[in-house]
Amino acid sequence: MNTSTTPTPIIVARNVDKRFGSFYALRNVSASFTEGQVTAIIGPSGSGKSTFLRTLNRLEKHDGGEIVIDGIELNDNLKHLDAVRREVGMVFQSFNLFSHLTILRNITLAPMRVRKMPKAEAEAKAMGLLERVGLKNQAYKYPVQLSGGQQQRVAIARALAMDPKVLLFDEPTSALDPEMVNEVLTVMRELAHTGITMLVVTHEMGFAREVADRVIFFDEGAILEDTTPQAFFTNPDHERAQAFLAQVRHGF
Amino acid sequence: MNWTKRYPGWTMFGAMVGLLIFLWGLAIPLSAAPAPIGPAAMQFAEGARITVWLTLIAGSVGVVLGVLAGMGKLSKFLPLRWVCDFYVWLIRGTPLLLQILFVWLVIPTVMPASVNLSDFACAAIALSLNIGAYNTECVRAGILAVPHGQIEAARALGLSPFQTFMDVILPQSMRVALPALANNLASLVKDSSLAYAISVVELTMVGYRVQAESYQPIPVFLTIATIYLILTTAFTTLTSALEAKLEVGQKR
Ligand SMILES: Nc1ncnc2c1ncn2[C@@H]1O[C@H](COP(=O)(O)OP(=O)(O)O)[C@@H](O)[C@H]1O
Ligand SMILES: [Mg+2]
Repeated sequence: MNTSTTPTPIIVARNVDKRFGSFYALRNVSASFTEGQVTAIIGPSGSGKSTFLRTLNRLEKHDGGEIVIDGIELNDNLKHLDAVRREVGMVFQSFNLFSHLTILRNITLAPMRVRKMPKAEAEAKAMGLLERVGLKNQAYKYPVQLSGGQQQRVAIARALAMDPKVLLFDEPTSALDPEMVNEVLTVMRELAHTGITMLVVTHEMGFAREVADRVIFFDEGAILEDTTPQAFFTNPDHERAQAFLAQVRHGF
Repeated sequence: MNWTKRYPGWTMFGAMVGLLIFLWGLAIPLSAAPAPIGPAAMQFAEGARITVWLTLIAGSVGVVLGVLAGMGKLSKFLPLRWVCDFYVWLIRGTPLLLQILFVWLVIPTVMPASVNLSDFACAAIALSLNIGAYNTECVRAGILAVPHGQIEAARALGLSPFQTFMDVILPQSMRVALPALANNLASLVKDSSLAYAISVVELTMVGYRVQAESYQPIPVFLTIATIYLILTTAFTTLTSALEAKLEVGQKR
């Protein structure tokens, strides 16, 4: 075991490449993330942020380099993949709640199927998680009956039900009406203090600045800046990052 | 919102019980009818039972075939896709009567002598293969209609491809495919009459025999038509209730 001065990296990405045809969506990306760290991933549209997150749970296969999650290398070995997916949860921009299942069943499905948790236990756990995201009274509704903000909170509860060590968020508030953004950010802010490792692709600069321990700026499939929020927002090194920030600030 | 939509469970139950009572008790009111119907009441009832059996067996096997071939058509494994394409092409491009005769005449010659298929079994096989091919297209369309995000969410939660199929893809695709499958089932009730060609004594065959003995085609065929209408209505009610049940959580 490492001491607290050199925390264990739970995610290690080394020289990761990802191609779509001849187009490089990720180019030689290296980064490691320590347990409990909250990282905001920022960058222009099409810069590879989603692709990077999606290689970390192998929704996309990487073409070069290596990715190790909690000591398990991501490769064609299906056992590794199963083990990694149990440790890594994901929250999508469009929620992707299972539309044919109630909120409660959405949350209990994976623990019951993947962890073989008994139904009663899974439901008790789900109710606890729903309480945590403030939606206990919605358990028996269907996703369409909930607002976007509520659906996204359920999606977070669903991911948490698997007790992941890492949670990946891909623009969790981008599909929401403005008045619903905060309820989701509040849940995420609380999560950030629980010691779970979070990688958050976001355009919410306020959230990145307050909550993140670290900011990564992507541009054209590569990591251009990897620094603290303080440094990134006050004085980014690269012109591209400065331009991006200026544009984002202008937009608000 | 009508009754079927509001209480789909009860409607299904009602239609099922109604169908059973109808089959069980059909002979009683018929026997009170004047000749030529009354004396042949037992025959009509037995014919209706055979028709329903053929429909239920071929309908169920046909759904399984449709799901398997529908999946096969979407498989990445090329030979499997060819087999499924060929099956659908063959069945849809030839008359049902020919298929029934083919099974009846050809299967006994290729089977070992110890296997003795009844006429009823031959009809059931041919009808299953037939409706299975039509179901294949419906199932395939249903599977293609499942949003990709649903599948990604399931995979990200750690569900295996098989679990993803059974818990997410299949139920959601059925919701889309059901109206078309129901249509096929309603046709099957009527198409099963072609089994008369291989001397299965189903409803139409009964009618044909009774009118041949009595020389009174009008009352006989009116009776037969009425029984068919009651059967198709029962099946349609059953499937539309099932549709309503699966529609929960669906956007309208
Ligand atoms: N499945 C795919 N097929 C082809 N190109 C893709 C695919 N997914 C992403 N891309 C391309 O890769 C680049 C990076 O995409 P993405 O990671 O989604 O960017 P971001 O999330 O930063 O907006 C984009 O140019 C996008 O068009
Ligand atoms: Mg993206």
